[in-house]
Amino acid sequence: MQRELMRALIAGAFVATSSAAMAHHSAAMFDQENPIELVGTVKEFKFTNPHTFVLLEVKDSDGSVTVWTLEGGTPSSLTRDGWTNKSIKPGDEVKMTIAPLRSGAPGGSWSAEHTRFPDGKPIVLSH
Amino acid sequence: MHYRFLLRAIVLAAALSSAMVAAHAFDESKYPDLKGMWRGTGGNKWTPAGQKAPLTPEYQAIYEANLADQAAGGHGTDPTYTCLPPGMPRQMNVYEPMEIVVTAGTTHLLMEHIHDSRRIYTDGRDWPEELEPAFRGHSIGKWIDADGDGRYDVLEVETRGVKGPRSFDSTGLPLHEDNQTIVKEQIYLEKANPNLLHDEITTIDHALTRPWTVMKNYRRVQTKEPIWWRESICAENNPHVRIGKDDYFVSFDGYLMPVRKDQAPPDLKYFKQSQK
Repeated sequence: MQRELMRALIAGAFVATSSAAMAHHSAAMFDQENPIELVGTVKEFKFTNPHTFVLLEVKDSDGSVTVWTLEGGTPSSLTRDGWTNKSIKPGDEVKMTIAPLRSGAPGGSWSAEHTRFPDGKPIVLSH
Repeated sequence: MHYRFLLRAIVLAAALSSAMVAAHAFDESKYPDLKGMWRGTGGNKWTPAGQKAPLTPEYQAIYEANLADQAAGGHGTDPTYTCLPPGMPRQMNVYEPMEIVVTAGTTHLLMEHIHDSRRIYTDGRDWPEELEPAFRGHSIGKWIDADGDGRYDVLEVETRGVKGPRSFDSTGLPLHEDNQTIVKEQIYLEKANPNLLHDEITTIDHALTRPWTVMKNYRRVQTKEPIWWRESICAENNPHVRIGKDDYFVSFDGYLMPVRKDQAPPDLKYFKQSQK
């Protein structure tokens, strides 16, 4: 019961801080109420319109690697938060709490607020 | 020969004189200072907190069906995910920063998003018999000196000739499919704070039981640095596609991914393989 309450609180906080970035179209395909944590290696950071993308290589329990396609805010909104196209680069290890696709396919939405280096340090100082 | 020279001189003088009249007609000091970069404040939902959209019963049912579809992972009645422009009035959410350029006959609202820039004609023209529909519609405006101090302070705008599909916002809050929307706006600076701009937007639409007024606000970016405007090309990297009646998400390597649980792949009925 307590664990479910904690999960609901975390999901609520996630939705509250992630929705603004996705607001120009519906983000309904991403399950914001059930966020998951990914730790992996940046394959590519696309600082593009209409959305930025992080392609993240995540090692599965069997040792295989899955590339996650993660849609984020616009370059404009990220720039306002201090990000640039070089804030993360291929080879960087990052920890991200993302809203996964409802289908279970390896895609989802990422946000600057919920992306850190594995030791917990923020990617840019404003977060 | 002499007659031809005289005629040319008269034509040139007339041209110069009309150009000078046009130049004199625009006195920048009579207009509010709207220079700089404006960003929307208060989020992109159309319905203000604590209010309910005044939808007709028919369109309330359409909205609720849309919410059910979105809860399952679809886009419902929100059409912008394929890079269609939001159109009026939604584009006044100002998804990318806005620049306002006031000229003698037109006030331009420039927004790098999905073809969101607007021309508001202030040259005194009237509505034509027919308008070619456009997502942003066609806007006629008039500058008003509301407080009688000799300077314009309010831009009154009416927009007609809008095309669809459109919704008010990403929740899929619908406008009527007949696209007979009329939007009336009053755009003005906050008197006590010239870095705060208001747009009082009244939407008249057959999906609504009454004209619906919503206030949108924009804050001027404060910087001493030169402003560089960013381009925004929606087709550059948009992973959301619609095939048949379903939506899909394109993976990093160009394959379709389902967005809903247990979603079927698209129908390939037109793909016929030659017998070998």
